[in-house]
Amino acid sequence: MQSYWFGDVGDGCCTLFIGDLNAIIDRIRSISSSMDSFIPLGWEQAVLCGACSDRIDYLAKLQAVCIAAAERSIREQYSRKDAELLQMVRTLDEIDNVINLLSERTAEWYLVRHPAFSRKYRRTPAHVLVKSMRERNKGALGRVAGEIEQLSETRTILAKEVSARANNVMPNTSALIGGLVAARLLSHAGGLLLLSRLPASAIQVLGARTALFAHLKTRSPCPKHGIIFQHRRVHNAPRNIRGKVARVLAGKIAIAARLDYFRGVTDPAFLESAQERIDAVGKGNEP
Amino acid sequence: MIWNGDVLLSQGEGGVYNERILGGARVWDPHRSKMSALYHVGTGVELTPGMRVLYLGAANGTTVSHVADYVDVVYAVEFAPRPMQDLLEVSRRRRNVIPIMADAARPEQYAPLVEAVDLLYQDVAQPEQASIALRNCSFLKTGGFLVLMLKTRSVDVRKEPAVIFQDTLDVLLSARLIVLECVWLAPFHHDHAAIVCMKPGG
Repeated sequence: MQSYWFGDVGDGCCTLFIGDLNAIIDRIRSISSSMDSFIPLGWEQAVLCGACSDRIDYLAKLQAVCIAAAERSIREQYSRKDAELLQMVRTLDEIDNVINLLSERTAEWYLVRHPAFSRKYRRTPAHVLVKSMRERNKGALGRVAGEIEQLSETRTILAKEVSARANNVMPNTSALIGGLVAARLLSHAGGLLLLSRLPASAIQVLGARTALFAHLKTRSPCPKHGIIFQHRRVHNAPRNIRGKVARVLAGKIAIAARLDYFRGVTDPAFLESAQERIDAVGKGNEP
Repeated sequence: MIWNGDVLLSQGEGGVYNERILGGARVWDPHRSKMSALYHVGTGVELTPGMRVLYLGAANGTTVSHVADYVDVVYAVEFAPRPMQDLLEVSRRRRNVIPIMADAARPEQYAPLVEAVDLLYQDVAQPEQASIALRNCSFLKTGGFLVLMLKTRSVDVRKEPAVIFQDTLDVLLSARLIVLECVWLAPFHHDHAAIVCMKPGG
């Protein structure tokens, strides 16, 4: 017997499937055909079965089912908790980029207007400089500086939201490396499922793509760390053991990501032992 | 195929992706669509009104919409939700596009939806492109065509495109497919090759 979307066909007879659109979608998701014995269906069969009147009707009904099934699949995928976090963290990184570009450009502009000005020997943080640019300049320059300030405020709010959501979506990974970095790992992997499937060695260099492919193609040294460099244990570690810390940390993140995907709740025992191990390597106490 | 000079056209409802309209027909841009590029640099497979097509890797439905202008029905398989949203919009406007949200590497999951087809067109960014094509050949009628758009960079970025091309060709030939045409899609698409095969009888 062979199952098709409209019914089951076998031994010269056909059983029409009776049910509403949702029932048909459930059906096409559950049935699958072994490709060895697969016989492609003919629309004539569906007519004989009483599923439709002619080919045009057949295609119209099939299309309606397929569109509804796809809409449901899309809804399900988007309602997963990591789907929105992905967009949030990518937006955050994009805003950072825009702020940097605009700040650089307006600083150059400002220098032209104030020939005596230089940033050398000043300890002015970027946002203070932007503020004074806004206050001292009329017209477009002042307005652009104002936009940068606004954008920075938005960035702060968004960063908090990303952190909070990451703590919720990936509690173990966030506890190990912080919500923001965890979310960035998620964004580079493409989702929680994909991150949980990655080997630790891939997590270690996630975000270091250029260096990694340069290494694979030429004889340049391989990268020791990607995004996880942002974790204090990695970037605070002495240069000679940084690679080691990154490797251990990546190993623990790989486990944490799997806990997050398959259990979704914090595992205090794991976190404690992982933290101990990372701290020990970070201090250079362990091989 | 409809040509106006050296511009490839298709006859159908326009405005799918702000494509140019020339004399009432939609311009099928070889820079945007690999299938159009194939018709520009090679022969390809003549699309006829009675054809049934299985299209793997339908993406946003840009090329699908042009194919649908020519043929009877297109079964468009796409896996990712984001492009699927666009593909659905195309299907709502075209009666002969059947969108299927599934993994092209697992044909058994959508087999109950698909008819036997005259043309199997594949444009997927996967490492196992040849084996995906072979698995889907069950849908192909005897004497039907397979058009494989080989993205060599998706197979392995470290290998030379020419080597991957040869490996893929060997896989297809060992499955007893008759290879009709092999062309690189330069200058329209880099490191992409098109392989046209026919499924032999018997």
